[in-house]
Amino acid sequence: MTLFFFGIALILAGGLSAALLHRRPAMADWGFGLLVASGCALGATPAIGVLAGRAVSGVSLAMPVPGGPWAFGIDGLSAFFLLVVFGVGLASAIYGLAYLAAERGHRAVATSHLLTAIELAALALVVTARAVVPFLIAWESMAVLAYFLVVFESEKADVRRAGLIYLVATHTGTLALFAMFAFWGRSAGLLSFEALAASAVSLPAQGALVLGLALVGFGIKAGLVPLHFWLPEAHGSAPSHVSALMSGVVIKMGIYGLLRVVNLLGALPPWWGWLVLVLGLLSGVLGVLWALAQHDLKRLLAYHSVENIGIILLGLGMGALGTSYHLPVVATLGFAGAILHTLNHALFKSVLFFGAGAVYRATGTRAIDRLGGLAGRMPLTWIAFLLGSVAIVGLPPLNGFVSEWVVYQALLRSGATRLPIHLAVLGVAGLALIGALALACFAKVGGIVFLGTARTADAEQGREVGAGMLGPMFALTLACGVIGLAPMLVVRPGLAAGALVAGLPADAAGSAGTEVLRAMTWIAILALALLLLLALGWTVWAIGSRRRPMARKETWACGYARAVPRAQYTASSFAAPLLASFGPITGVQQSRHGDVFHSHARELVLEGVALPLWSAIRGFAWRLRPIQQGRLWGYLVYLVAALLLLLLYLAASGEGTPP
Amino acid sequence: MTWTPLVALGTLLLVAPLLPGLAAKTKALLTGRRGAPVLQLYWDLRKLMGKGAVYSTTSTWLFRVAPVVVVVTALLAACIVPLDGHRALVSFTGDLVAFASLLGLGRFMLVLAGLDTGSSFEGLGASREVHFSSFVEPALFLCFAGLALASRDLSLTGMLGSPLATAWPTAAPSLVMIGVSLFLVLLAEASRVPVDDPATHLELTMIHEVIVLDHSGADFALILYGSALKFALFGALLVGVLVPRATVSAPTGIGLLGLGLVVVALLVGVVESIMARLRLSRVPQFLVAASVLASLGVILLLMA
Repeated sequence: MTLFFFGIALILAGGLSAALLHRRPAMADWGFGLLVASGCALGATPAIGVLAGRAVSGVSLAMPVPGGPWAFGIDGLSAFFLLVVFGVGLASAIYGLAYLAAERGHRAVATSHLLTAIELAALALVVTARAVVPFLIAWESMAVLAYFLVVFESEKADVRRAGLIYLVATHTGTLALFAMFAFWGRSAGLLSFEALAASAVSLPAQGALVLGLALVGFGIKAGLVPLHFWLPEAHGSAPSHVSALMSGVVIKMGIYGLLRVVNLLGALPPWWGWLVLVLGLLSGVLGVLWALAQHDLKRLLAYHSVENIGIILLGLGMGALGTSYHLPVVATLGFAGAILHTLNHALFKSVLFFGAGAVYRATGTRAIDRLGGLAGRMPLTWIAFLLGSVAIVGLPPLNGFVSEWVVYQALLRSGATRLPIHLAVLGVAGLALIGALALACFAKVGGIVFLGTARTADAEQGREVGAGMLGPMFALTLACGVIGLAPMLVVRPGLAAGALVAGLPADAAGSAGTEVLRAMTWIAILALALLLLLALGWTVWAIGSRRRPMARKETWACGYARAVPRAQYTASSFAAPLLASFGPITGVQQSRHGDVFHSHARELVLEGVALPLWSAIRGFAWRLRPIQQGRLWGYLVYLVAALLLLLLYLAASGEGTPP
Repeated sequence: MTWTPLVALGTLLLVAPLLPGLAAKTKALLTGRRGAPVLQLYWDLRKLMGKGAVYSTTSTWLFRVAPVVVVVTALLAACIVPLDGHRALVSFTGDLVAFASLLGLGRFMLVLAGLDTGSSFEGLGASREVHFSSFVEPALFLCFAGLALASRDLSLTGMLGSPLATAWPTAAPSLVMIGVSLFLVLLAEASRVPVDDPATHLELTMIHEVIVLDHSGADFALILYGSALKFALFGALLVGVLVPRATVSAPTGIGLLGLGLVVVALLVGVVESIMARLRLSRVPQFLVAASVLASLGVILLLMA
């Protein structure tokens, strides 16, 4: 734990160096980069130790505040999330140096680096806190700092709007968490996680209220449908390295929270598992459908975060159901799938956001239909983006396939059990649909943005970005490849962490766990065989085609020789038939004004529910305006009146009398 | 270590180009024409292998890699299917996901290669391909789920092997439904009527053919071989479900597989002669029917 806190201190020092040395940009960048990198490495060391099977002792600090001592600790679950925080966080911070370099001088770049460093520290504390007070402090710091990171380009009205929507949403979530911990803590007495866990059995209705509030509070952060409405706005408007950090790490804190609550509660009522499973299916299918409808590259990626949260929730739901129905294999596999997909999504989604950021820096636009033909101009970014796409679609030989495979295992293995949990086996159809739609969406993105010919002058001027942006991109791509080729490295600790969440011993999956690990060896062999056969096939092919004549001509357009770039398929036309067969739930609105055809993707929940609800609340709040006079004596009167009322209440109920 | 899985794989690789020819011949005979020779695809492949290729000035390395990926992924997927009726070369729990995902990788690269040309024709084909495959994939996984339930095994070797054979007497209605659903999946995956029409000559009505409009020479040969292999693979799955061969010896199993594949090809030819191709907007409904049928089979198994 000492190493961990030392790492946190180094990260904060890195942030300070960026802020203090801002007049010396080169030195500030080096200081920031080196300190944050060494801090992340130090902080991740105990986490890796825990995953390798070593125990790390926690610390407990006596604090002069209510709620008991502040405890911190690292278990198998924390360790996975710490890897995500430090790995993806470091890559985002380094990428941010190069990404924001162009803005130095007219925007608060140094402040943004400082905030990024504090955000990393807050994130690391969220997943290691073992008591309510430090957890909530870290949670709220993380949420508010993320707001400041998102509104970096605050002169733009839509960025400010996105930031405000995010701030309101995250505070609503925090409110639910306050309510949850207050309710839970009342029966626990002390506010340490240990005490909460010990009092879990005494919660009414198997902790129904706690579970419901957790789903709202952590669900808003995770961005599950229908609580996702803030997510595409915020992730789309933030600078790209912040989008990566938000999508890869910050929203995962919602998943961490849910897993931790499950871990502390121990027993779960079945309805909660089913609810999570259904929400997962809903988030997965709707997230990817909405992504297909987008025209903005980063908004599209943001909706894919909703989709992947759906896949994670499918795993989490299976884990919860396995816990409720006392099926250790399903429980372990479900939670393990959720944890592994969390890690994998953090890796490949960050690669994709880094790629999108590179495209934005190179061309100045995020509109998919204005791009095209970037594969030739930005070959390295294209390779990273392509590999990221293969990973997110869940195809071998990369990491997305591995964690989706584990979720499939949990779903399929439930079929061999008894009523009613075996109905969950039908969920494979949902996961298959999500995968196929994701394939459609990334075929669209890759094909329209990077392939074909440039549609506008913006796309023509695109040039490859520098090593500062390519480096972090390829580091994370490499991690995707390593997990894809040697999946047992993460699946073994993943199973242990899954069992930990379910409150079972590490080998709870028994022979099924052994089978899964054996399958990992086969998956590694298949992935390796795939790469080798591709290399072999390609070599044979290249040698063979040297003997055959080869010509370069313009694309065959059925005899039509004047094909213009404008005539290429666009993102809208590519997705249109698919969206049409899903009807109005996709939120696509089409209109025609004379010759101009326009299609627009509405955010259904934001425009249909959240904003109307917000304006209703504002209308009501307006009527309360008379009590806000802005004079000090008025507020003192309210204070006295409130205290008096409270005293009267206590006197009447007899609760306040000393024993 | 027995050699039969390897022999079975070799047989499949050899006979795959026969199937489209058989289907075309059946269709020709049933519609009163003489038709092309059954072995036409072999001659086509040989001719194309000797030819040079024309590449678009727009296309990149991806365009040339994609055909190799299509064949390699189909080949690896074939290693997971127990072709001799007993065991596959590669078998592990959950290998069915690897089977579908490997074919998915081939599809992904093929679609991207289509978009690589920048032609709106290829864009059209790519869009249709991903559209329809989104409806095929759930049906395929439901079929797999049904087979897993019936055989109580999560590897294709078990799902199509002796556990399935013992499950047939009790689970016959479900397995028949899954078989029919798999046949519909096959029609879609192999680009046959009523989803796609391999005989169409108008680019605007094509799906698979139009994605590969720009491929020529040896590249095109690989693509043609890859899609024939995919036809054979889904045929082998179908034969595996309907004719469990765990009780017969492996060589007989391979023979039965060959016979079954011929029957499947003939059946496809018959379907092509008696049915018109569906309007494109109707295809999703047809494919959803496959999913519904398979889920009905799964639900029946769950109730048992």
